[in-house]
Amino acid sequence: MEFDFLKQKRILLVDDEQELLDMLVSILKEEGYQSIRTAVSIHNALHVISDFRPELAVLDVMLPDGSGFDLMKQLKQNADYPILFLTACGESEDRCLGLGLGADDYIVKPFLPKELTLRISAILRRSYKNETPLIKLHDSVVDFSRAEVVKDGNHFSLTAKEFELLSVLARNAGRIVTIDALCEAAWGENPFGYENSLMAHIRRIREKIEKNPSKPVSLITIKGLGYKLLVEGQSL
Amino acid sequence: MKSFPKLLHRFFLILFFSLFLLLFFNMFLLFLFIAKYTPNSSPWLTAESVAQNLTLSEDGYRLSAESLEELKEANAWAMLIDEQTKTVIWQTDNLPAEIPKNYTLSDIASLTRGYIEDFPTFTGERDDGLLVVGYPPQSFWKHLWPSWDLHLISQIPQFFLVLIACNLLLIFLIYLLTNVTLFRSVRPIVQGIQSLALDQEIYVSEKGILSEIASNINHASEILRTKNRLLKKKETARANWIAGVSHDIRTPLSMVMGYSGQLENDPHLTDVQRQKISVIRRQGERIKNLVNDLNLSSKLEYHMQPLHCRTENMISLVRQVVVDFINLDIENLYPIEWLTKDSFNCCMADVDKDLIQRAISNLIQNSMTHNETGCHIYVCVKQQNHTCQIQIEDDGIGITQSEVERLNHTPHYMLCDENTDHQRHGLGLLLVRQIALVHKGSFVIGCGSFGGFLAVLTLPCSSKSASDSFPA
Repeated sequence: MEFDFLKQKRILLVDDEQELLDMLVSILKEEGYQSIRTAVSIHNALHVISDFRPELAVLDVMLPDGSGFDLMKQLKQNADYPILFLTACGESEDRCLGLGLGADDYIVKPFLPKELTLRISAILRRSYKNETPLIKLHDSVVDFSRAEVVKDGNHFSLTAKEFELLSVLARNAGRIVTIDALCEAAWGENPFGYENSLMAHIRRIREKIEKNPSKPVSLITIKGLGYKLLVEGQSL
Repeated sequence: MKSFPKLLHRFFLILFFSLFLLLFFNMFLLFLFIAKYTPNSSPWLTAESVAQNLTLSEDGYRLSAESLEELKEANAWAMLIDEQTKTVIWQTDNLPAEIPKNYTLSDIASLTRGYIEDFPTFTGERDDGLLVVGYPPQSFWKHLWPSWDLHLISQIPQFFLVLIACNLLLIFLIYLLTNVTLFRSVRPIVQGIQSLALDQEIYVSEKGILSEIASNINHASEILRTKNRLLKKKETARANWIAGVSHDIRTPLSMVMGYSGQLENDPHLTDVQRQKISVIRRQGERIKNLVNDLNLSSKLEYHMQPLHCRTENMISLVRQVVVDFINLDIENLYPIEWLTKDSFNCCMADVDKDLIQRAISNLIQNSMTHNETGCHIYVCVKQQNHTCQIQIEDDGIGITQSEVERLNHTPHYMLCDENTDHQRHGLGLLLVRQIALVHKGSFVIGCGSFGGFLAVLTLPCSSKSASDSFPA
């Protein structure tokens, strides 16, 4: 898997329930994450970050010595890294407050392990995309640092729109990305009416990454819904 | 208050009808009265008749028996004053003694206009003199100066019309004044009663002639307000209780679901153990859905869920929910087919995005929950008559018509206010119905064309177009 370097990222987990922390550590370790530290309070968390320097923090909102939102502000003062809230407060106001303050995602308890690991993985890929190495596809390799595709020894440059679209698809490799999400990524918050342009760009990307663009094996169309990018080793 | 002008209009009609009725009734009475006294009111005619019936023969003057009888009935007397000598040359037997026998021209003018010794007198013309008929005193009143200005007489019809008009106007003004006063007193009362009906807070000023009614309305309003406050308090306490329980259950449930989800993939477990863990995980998910639904459903029921409506493209919204489900369904146990036409890519509606996503998730989840061995799920978005229809259908075990009837007619325990054993359980579909209702839409269930369950969520389309919603 091309994103294995993300598994090396340092993750800080903060929740007042030690048993829940133990379970989260167990889930993340099973998923391959190596560097994990936990804290049961704000005070404890601030102590941990003094020598741990996390690259992702998963926070509860209700902590014994204050709010997780306050902790986020303090964490962001020292360094800018993604923060995910994992909380029992499911109100939309809480969600909006968390996301409004700069949180990268918000998961309401209870959750499935799969949902948590997928979201953590997506946040890490999004946040550390510049560190993303080459993406190996079935017939080609995408080099995001040079914005080009290497196929059969030939180099094909990616246009800005192709780069954006391929980045979104790569960050969600193996998952369907809706037409609307792709249009929004390429054309901003006014994505309506760009479906035909999107099809044209997808066709041009396929010409660069696929051996046979009319029978794609890496960039798959999911009829009516969107597209899915399969990296090497992934199948339909 | 709309009925008040109607009431006023009706009163005006009754007033005018009453006035005209009164006028005609009085005229009728006057006519009857005059008709009754007409026989007595013709002494001039009697005098004329006596003058004609008095004949001069060789034996002297002779009055007909008919005229004599008429005079006798009226207790009247008659005399004839000679044209030349101005003396009485004939008289009836009952001529009072105090009546003079000689007259001057002035006396004749006086008796013609008025009285002789208090006897009202009336004259009849003859060639040979003047016939005078006298009635007993106090029997007639005579107008001594019977003359009117001719101009005045000619103006009488107009004068009467103006008089009637002025009278009507005066009565109308008096009526209007009293009614406006009454209207002013009644208006706040009527408004108060209307506000009571709309469950609004009111206070009617307790002044004027209707102060007692105003006081009663204020009292009724206070009772209603207190009851509403208590009800709201109870509802809030109930919703808060549900929210609290659902909050406290989330962390322990996270651990149940987390560990069971992890153990499910443990290669060291036997198939039987893995199956058991799988059941725990699935039941954990059911409790999770129930907790989520219960909290939202109670808030919607007690109007505690704020709506954040925005104009959204329903196709994008439904598509995202479908894709989220497909991305999580790694085993591909529930393949979802998107049946929306490719050419149809915009259907705008004013909705709370989170709530609608929740409703669609619940419908897809419903198909999954009732088909544990897997099924195909078909999703389609259509536009029909300014409504957006979202159809979720499956080819699973389906539902019979009687079950559809039962689901539609059995009260849900969240809404049931009676102690009955026949309550409906399961919150998923109830929540979808509640979400449809807060969006002024509808929700129907039935048997689908693929042999399974069919659910149709219909929402009103937005009046805004896509370009209005996404300004360039």
